[in-house]
Amino acid sequence: MHKSKSMYPYYLVLPALLVYFIFFAFPALIGFYYSFTDWRLDRTTIQFIGWANFERIFSDKILLLAIKNTLIFAVVTVIGKNVLGLLLALGLNMKLKTRNLLRAIYFTPSILSILVISIVFTPILRTEGMLNGLFEWLGFESLAQAWLTNPSIVIWTISAVAIWQGAGFQMTIYLAGLQGISKEYYEAAKIDGASGWRSFWNITLPLLLPALNINLMLTLIGGLKVFSEVYVLTGGGPGNASQVVGTIILRAFGEGNWGLGTAVNTLLFVCVAIIAVPLIIFMRRKEVAE
Amino acid sequence: MRRRLKSMTLGLLAGTLALSLAACGTAKNTDNEGGQTSGGSSKVTLELAISKSSQDSPFIADWLIEEFEQETGIKINLQLIPAEQSTTVLQTKLAVDEVPDLIQYNLASAVTDLNLERNFEILDNEPWVSRIQNPDVLSAFGHIYGFHVSQDTGMQGVVYNKDIFEELGLSIPKNYEEFLAVCEAIKAAGYTPVFMPYKDAWAANIWPAAAFADWAAKNDPTLFDDLNSNKKQWTDIPAFEEILEQQYQIYKLGYTNADVLADSYDMAVGKFLSKEVAMMFMGDWLIQNITSQDPSMNIGLFAIPYAEDPSIGASPLGGQLFIPKKSKHIEEAKKYLEFIASPEIAQRIVDAESYVSNLSDVTTPEQPEYKQEIIDNYITPEKVTLTMDAHMIVDQNEWYRNLQDQFTGMITPKEALANWNEKFQELMKDKGAEGF
Repeated sequence: MHKSKSMYPYYLVLPALLVYFIFFAFPALIGFYYSFTDWRLDRTTIQFIGWANFERIFSDKILLLAIKNTLIFAVVTVIGKNVLGLLLALGLNMKLKTRNLLRAIYFTPSILSILVISIVFTPILRTEGMLNGLFEWLGFESLAQAWLTNPSIVIWTISAVAIWQGAGFQMTIYLAGLQGISKEYYEAAKIDGASGWRSFWNITLPLLLPALNINLMLTLIGGLKVFSEVYVLTGGGPGNASQVVGTIILRAFGEGNWGLGTAVNTLLFVCVAIIAVPLIIFMRRKEVAE
Repeated sequence: MRRRLKSMTLGLLAGTLALSLAACGTAKNTDNEGGQTSGGSSKVTLELAISKSSQDSPFIADWLIEEFEQETGIKINLQLIPAEQSTTVLQTKLAVDEVPDLIQYNLASAVTDLNLERNFEILDNEPWVSRIQNPDVLSAFGHIYGFHVSQDTGMQGVVYNKDIFEELGLSIPKNYEEFLAVCEAIKAAGYTPVFMPYKDAWAANIWPAAAFADWAAKNDPTLFDDLNSNKKQWTDIPAFEEILEQQYQIYKLGYTNADVLADSYDMAVGKFLSKEVAMMFMGDWLIQNITSQDPSMNIGLFAIPYAEDPSIGASPLGGQLFIPKKSKHIEEAKKYLEFIASPEIAQRIVDAESYVSNLSDVTTPEQPEYKQEIIDNYITPEKVTLTMDAHMIVDQNEWYRNLQDQFTGMITPKEALANWNEKFQELMKDKGAEGF
């Protein structure tokens, strides 16, 4: 216990920090500045307009719909991916013969390109597609919906597809976490007469907190930043029914309204920071040190 | 201690290596730059930016570029941009002054997307201008900005399968009631009367854009100018609501594919080839796409039958060449246009593409049947109107989305127009248009 924890002098981190600052932090800061201007495609000068862009965001019903859709998507996918991922991990941590094969199968969707997923799911989800066809064949015609074209359910459909794709990835992280839990705890619990549920609640979950932390963070931030899933499945449609913040930013830039697009982006950044940072701190405190 | 020294030396060596590579790289670049701008001994290379979806454009044909280089010593380097990114890439290039010397783009879109007036050269005084028969298709704001050897803009209307019409003894409907009757007959025979791929929102605007424009030309010629100067609102015109309702009714009456909001434009050619559908609201480029895959198909085009005796809709001419003002080789770029416009070269292009020539000394070759019909039935008797797209100076994507919303059944035509009117006001105000 004779030296400080770090073996390397701090200044060695400067080059990386410099690159990070120039290519990430600095543009982000400039972006904050542009959020308060009327930066546009067809203007050569820009003017400071204060909060005007943000006022516009909160008074435009489509932008508000986009925020609502983004929140729905984020909450649904966080719950769905994590619950499904955890269940899969618990199941595939048991001694099964085909365990490794199953793990590979469940993981595969998360490495597929989102374009492939959209091409695969579009014929399945069409009104005359395979899913509705299945319901009809089983006799549950009333369950058949216009999955991708009914404005009230389209964002839920997209969330479901995203959960299908992403759960496998969360599963692998949970698996890693599960395998880090020493068997001794379970044995001790068994000796004390603990039921399966108790040992899950009191041993597995607390020791899984680091993995839970990571997964929660990834899924939450990914959910709030969603773009590709919505863009390839519906393009934000029909009409504007499935617009999310990511696609709205694209729309704003497409209209030449770069200041507004940057403002929406800034808003997204602030929201993610407000939600994610306290969560990280909270979860950190609860992590049990090994 | 020795280990420390070793690792430090290694690190230093690696760093020096990286640095020298970087320096080498930049040195090479500056060498090239020097070579190019020194003129004289080294050749000029023009940069031509074009979307990948236009890679069949005759203006970038291999033979054309080779012959141009042989004659003038000027090379042409193609910048092929992926289609979905072409607008944003070009916007960025123009914004950071990394401009190509020539750009192939669509005139009407260039006005809004690329800020035509600010960024592009006026070509009024070029030697070929005097030989242009229809300068309007190349002009905006009273000046010629684009170059093309064809005056054949895409015609828009109802693309129809002539064989099915003949089989069922149908003639071209001249008004809306006749159109619905035709649909009924086609549906009874087991075909899908109209294919509506409205997942691609822009496709929902073919019927409205042509019908609006035709109505305006016949009833209120200054309508678009009034709309663009805020003297009239989109909600002030009852005829527009009727036109939108007409298109929706075709879907409601069951004369279309079931999943209009999930089917996309790229399915269209297949649907015609398999004889599943009889008609579609689209432009004549679709006919070209169908017949190139199956020359035995007989496809034609008639004007959108929203009312009695309609004119055919003409889209603004696409695939034109433009020269950015900030190009470093404007004279050489202009030379390329002159070269293409020369009678011999232009004739070769016009013949190869079956264009309707826009140059007085270049003859129009024999047209495919559907094209000749359009010329005889609409162009010659001057029953052509520029569609709504030609009059819009703002991005229309929100309008297309409102049409989609209308098809979900969530909003009425009145509400669609009201939503668009609101957005239109916003967009025009952002643009700084007068009156908003």
